[in-house]
Parts: sequence; structure tokens; C-alpha cells
Amino acid sequence: MEHLFTNLAAAFTGWMITLGLSPVWADIILLLVKWIIIITIITLNIIVLIWLERKVSAFFQERLGPNRLGPFGIFQTIADAIKLLTKEDIVPSAADKLIFKTAPMFFIVVAVMLYTVIPLGQGMEVINLNIGLLFFISIGSLSTIALLMAGWGSDNKWSLMGAVRSVAQMISYEIPLAFSLLGVVMISGSLNLQDIVAAQDNLWFIILQPIAFITYFIAATAELNRGPFDMPEAEQELTGGAYTEYTGMRWALFFLAEYTNLVAVSALMATVFLGGWQGPWLPSWLWIIIKTYGVILVFFWVKWTFPRIRMDQLMSFSWKVLVPVSLGNILLTGAGIYFCKWMGWC
Amino acid sequence: MNGQGLIKGLGITLKHFFQKEITEQYPDVMPELAPRFRGCLQFEFEKCIACGICVNSCPNDVLSFETEKSENSKKKKLLSYTIDFQYCMFCNLCVEGCPKDCLHFDHDFELSTFSRDDIKRVYLRPAEMDEEEEVETASMQDEQENKEQNKIEAMSKALQKNPAKILAQVLEQEEDIKILSELVQESEKTALKMAELLVKDKEKAAKVAAGFVTKEKKNRLQAEKGGEE
Amino acid sequence: MFEFSAFSLYDAAFLAIGGVTILGALGVVLFRNIIYSALSLVFTMLGVAAIYFQLNAGFLGAIQILVYAGAISVLIIFAVMLLMDKDARRTNLPTPRTKAWFAGGTITMMMLASIIAAVGFTEWPKTALQGVDNSVGMLAELMLGDYVIAFEAAAILLLVAVIGAIILAKGVENR
Repeated sequence: MEHLFTNLAAAFTGWMITLGLSPVWADIILLLVKWIIIITIITLNIIVLIWLERKVSAFFQERLGPNRLGPFGIFQTIADAIKLLTKEDIVPSAADKLIFKTAPMFFIVVAVMLYTVIPLGQGMEVINLNIGLLFFISIGSLSTIALLMAGWGSDNKWSLMGAVRSVAQMISYEIPLAFSLLGVVMISGSLNLQDIVAAQDNLWFIILQPIAFITYFIAATAELNRGPFDMPEAEQELTGGAYTEYTGMRWALFFLAEYTNLVAVSALMATVFLGGWQGPWLPSWLWIIIKTYGVILVFFWVKWTFPRIRMDQLMSFSWKVLVPVSLGNILLTGAGIYFCKWMGWC
Repeated sequence: MNGQGLIKGLGITLKHFFQKEITEQYPDVMPELAPRFRGCLQFEFEKCIACGICVNSCPNDVLSFETEKSENSKKKKLLSYTIDFQYCMFCNLCVEGCPKDCLHFDHDFELSTFSRDDIKRVYLRPAEMDEEEEVETASMQDEQENKEQNKIEAMSKALQKNPAKILAQVLEQEEDIKILSELVQESEKTALKMAELLVKDKEKAAKVAAGFVTKEKKNRLQAEKGGEE
Repeated sequence: MFEFSAFSLYDAAFLAIGGVTILGALGVVLFRNIIYSALSLVFTMLGVAAIYFQLNAGFLGAIQILVYAGAISVLIIFAVMLLMDKDARRTNLPTPRTKAWFAGGTITMMMLASIIAAVGFTEWPKTALQGVDNSVGMLAELMLGDYVIAFEAAAILLLVAVIGAIILAKGVENR
């Protein structure tokens, strides 16, 4: 079971080489196949995730959640997806049509690109990049542009307001997000995510870096535009923020991308702080799924507990609390590493 | 310490996460309603006396009714009663005001209808109620007749007992009264006739009485003549 | 990363990336809507980052995306949006003055000539370089070791520039 997928990939490459393809082309085709599998997993996963979020939020509020379609309402999301697919595609007449139409595509492409570096098991990643962590952060920063495009292209004050908010928020929280991961990088001595997983062989980084974990969690919540930091959408104030004018499948793409981002960030948290795919008894790819879903459930828990905070509170929290705290964490980690080397422990 | 409230909040939601759901599965399971729940307003036609207190007490002009005033009785006859639910705010004022308790709220809360006119409930006068009323009026007429009969009988008895006093109402001269009272005491038939006339129509009674007296006088005169002859 | 042994494939990838970059750069200049210009600037930045990636300078590429494509270009779009006071479709019109055309053309030609000259007259090492495995570590050693003073000086310079910009924008408060 452990090497199921890696063996499958190797067998596939071998089969293609026997067909007369050069190894380079075989690798490229394997890469494409990996992408297709990733996109399929993301799309199918969304169905479960949306159902799960609705169900979990219902339980937090002592409700039942979707319970009509199928056992425990599991097919509700499929019905919703069909509804969204068949809905009329409305483009506002005053909108900047090119930007309006490309924004959701850009957003989903950026979200899917995040999965390039995440190790989904032992030796299971699309590309084993030696700067994987940095790549993840930098690609994640691109989604601001997609939101800005959506907000600008809609030609709607709510959309633009939501886009401006989300951009301000995401640029501010990128800094503590990156800084909080630096502690982990300093201990493991690598930006490669597989190396970071390997460094957590004995001890998870959540124990060595609790402050970094908390700051990363908060910053990631803000980066994902999830509650309590969901001012960019803020249904009550902005009627949906940058997504206000979107309907049908275009809106669904945004929704899909948001959940894709959520899974990616949760998987990264599981990889960086919770020992990645390492775990006893079960195969590695099952462990990463379990850990990712655990982190996602915590995200749900936080979202359905805390009320939305104010925009100025959000910004001052980032610059006045999170940035100093994450910088202090870097200092503390550096001092700890020096102390450790001085004592000869490592 | 800062952030304690956040942990507390997380604890509260976690507690609720494991608590039993309070959702009412409404169309499948009907909700349990309190006894004084105000659902649909019900009207009992038979009890209504068409006093109009409910209409006056209604703040939203929900209630209205039609009446007909019959000729021979004071009572208003209720023809129809209308409850226009689209304006009702279930304030209960009409129910409290009704003296005959013919309005009450029941537990049926599914009031939505497909068209706006359907929500207006019109209670028409039930047919069996009209039949009942006819029987009633008939019996009333009987009663009146009975009453008259009784009166006449009582009058005739009184006439026989104490004719002078009663006949003073119709006759003026004492001589005439004496003659007629003698007559009345002699025959019950005349007494009855006089009594009937006295109860029903006094003027006619006076005329008849005068007629009786003149006839008797003639009879007496002839009898005197015959006696002389 | 892949070892692109097939020369033509590597070349094709470079051509595609370079094409995107040049098209983006042309778009910045030629679009009449300045928002489109700003967005094509993002594509140019991404193309440059992709070239870095192709040259095995992944760190530089990631930083290029993070800083230029993700942050600076957004700030540019912000500035454009906040300062725009006319119809968006007429914000980046070509200048009607022929003088300006001549000046711009001259500068472009001079730049082009100097780049061509620089590329043509440089003696490039003929040996194929081995791909660097730990480019991040080498960069760190250079920046935080050999050139640490220059690096920190640059950092302080940027900080001073930021503070100066804020003071210029907001003005000094006289007490």
C-alpha cells in the first residue's frame, strides 16, 4: 500500500518508454497525468469539503445541515454543482469584459499551481522543487491579482471595495506568513518540503515552533479570506465583495479556487508543522489526507466561532502584533539553534 | 491574558458541536405548539350575535360581516362573516372582545395560499340555521296565540265574576252595564265574545256591547208589552 | 527539475516564455487602458520569473513572483486606480507629439545597441556549467557572508527611502 502510487507512476513511465517514447517525453506526459489527477482530486474533494463545511457549521449551531439528498445529504453539493453549471452566465454590461472573464480562470490556475510542491506522500509530489516552500508562498501571493481583476472588471463599488480590502489584507499577512515559516526553515535547513518532512522524523515542528504555528495559522486564515478575516467577502457589508457580480460557473470557479486554496494551505500546514506524511501503520498518502482534514476542521471551527473583525483592527493586528511576534520567533529560533550548537546537542 | 476569550469561545462552540440538534424537521414532523399558540382564526357562526365588537376592536380591518334586519324582530340576522388573513397580525384583540366566544385561534399555521384571494376566509350563513329560525318563528306565533287565548279566557272568567267593573271600560250608563252584566252572567257565549273583543279591540267591543244592550232593551220592552197584553 | 537533454525542447520552452515576456512588455506600452497595461506588466514579471526558473535560479524566480508580480504590480495597479479620473479606456494613449516619438525611439535604439554590444563583445565561458543544487545556500553565504555590509546597507537605504516617501506624502507634523 505504501508505494502504491509511486509504483504506478514508475510502471506508467516504464510502459511509455517501451512504447518508444524518449524518457524526457515520458516524464512530461507523466507530469501532465499528475496534473490531471491533481485537478480531478481537487474537484472531487470540493464536493466533500463543501458538504463537510455545511454539515460542520450546522453542528456548531445545533442544526442538522443538508440532509435531504442521499444519506446525510452527501449529494447536496452535486445538486448545487449541477445548478451552478446550468445557471445563466451574466456579464454586467458595464464590466470590463476581458478582465471580468479571465479573473476566475487566473484565480483557479494560481490555486491549482500551489499543489506543485506539496508532498502528498513518500516521494509523491508533482515536482520536487528545492525551494518548494518559497514557491508556495510566492504563488499564493499571485491570487491577489486575480481578486483585483475580479473587483476591477466587475465595475461595481462592492466588488472593488472587496478587492481592495482583500489585496490590502493579503499583502499585509504575507509578511507574517513568510516569517513564521522561516523558523521551520532555519531548523530544518532547507526550503524543500520533502526535507522538511524528513526533518520531523522524531519531533513535529509544532512542538519546536508553537509560536510560528499560531502566527502561521492566523496569517493563513487571513490569506484564505476565511472567517473571522472574511472582510473581502463580507456578505452583510459588501454583498459578496469581489464575487458580487459573478454568477453560475464563473462564481463556482471562485468558490472552487477558495476551497482549493484552503486544502493547499491546510496540506502545507500538515507538511510543515504536523510531520507531513509521516505516521505509523497507515500508508503515507493516507496520513497526509488525515492530517490535512484535521487542519481543515480546525479552520472550520475557527470560522464558525469568531465574528468578523474590523478592517482597521485586522491591519493593525498584522503590523503591530503578528509581524513583531514572528520576527521575535525568528530571533528566538536563531538563538536556540546557536545555543543548541554551543551545547553540542546538534 | 489576551486571547482567553478566544479559547473560551472555541470551547463554547465545541460544546454545542456535540449537543443534540434542535432542528424541527417541520414538514416531516409537525412542531409541538403551545396551547395558546395563535394559528388560524376560527369563527363559529352559530354563536355569533352580530354585535360588531370584533370588527371594532380589530386594528387592521381584518374582520367584516354582513347583516340583514328582519321586519318582525329586533334581532339582526348575520348573513356572512369575512376574515381577511392577509392583514391579520394575530393580536388576539377580537378573541378577547367577543362576548359569545365565537372567535378563537387554532393550531393550524399553514396559511399560505397560491393566490391572494384564497387567503380571505368567508363564512356564509349555513342553510340549516335558516330552517331552525323558521321553526322558531312558528313556535313564537303559536305562543302569541296561546297568550291571547289565555287572556281571553281570563277575561271571560273575570267578566262572569265581576262584570260591572270590566264593562265600565266600554259602556257609560250604569243601566246599560247592569243589563249587559246580567246578560254575560246568563250565557257563557256572550261572555266569551265580549272577552275576545275586549282583549283585541276595545272600540269594536264598545259598539258590540252597545248593540247587545239595545237588543236586550228591545227584548225586554216586547216582553213587558206581551206581559201587559 | 528536469534535465532537458533534448536541446530543441529546452529551446522551445525558452521561446514560449520569452514570447510571453515580450508580448507582456509590448502590452504595457501599447494598451490604451492603463489597467490592461498594469496587468500585462504582471505577465511580463511572471515571464521573467519563468526564465529564472529555467536557468535553475529558482530562488530568484520565486522572489521575482513574490515581490514583483505579487506585490509591486498590485501596488502599481492600486496607484493607477486611485489616481485615475477619466474613462479607463483612454488612460494610456500614445503621445501625439512627434518630438516625443523621436526622443523615445532614440533612447530605445541606444539601449538596444548597448545590449547587443554587451552580449556580442562578452567572452562567454564555453564549458557547460553544472546545475547548482543548493543555490539558496550559496546565495545566503554570499549575501550574509561576503557581502553582508553591502546587503545591510541596501536594506537601510530602502528603509530610509520608505520613511522618506511617507514623510513626503503625509508631511511633517510641526509641534
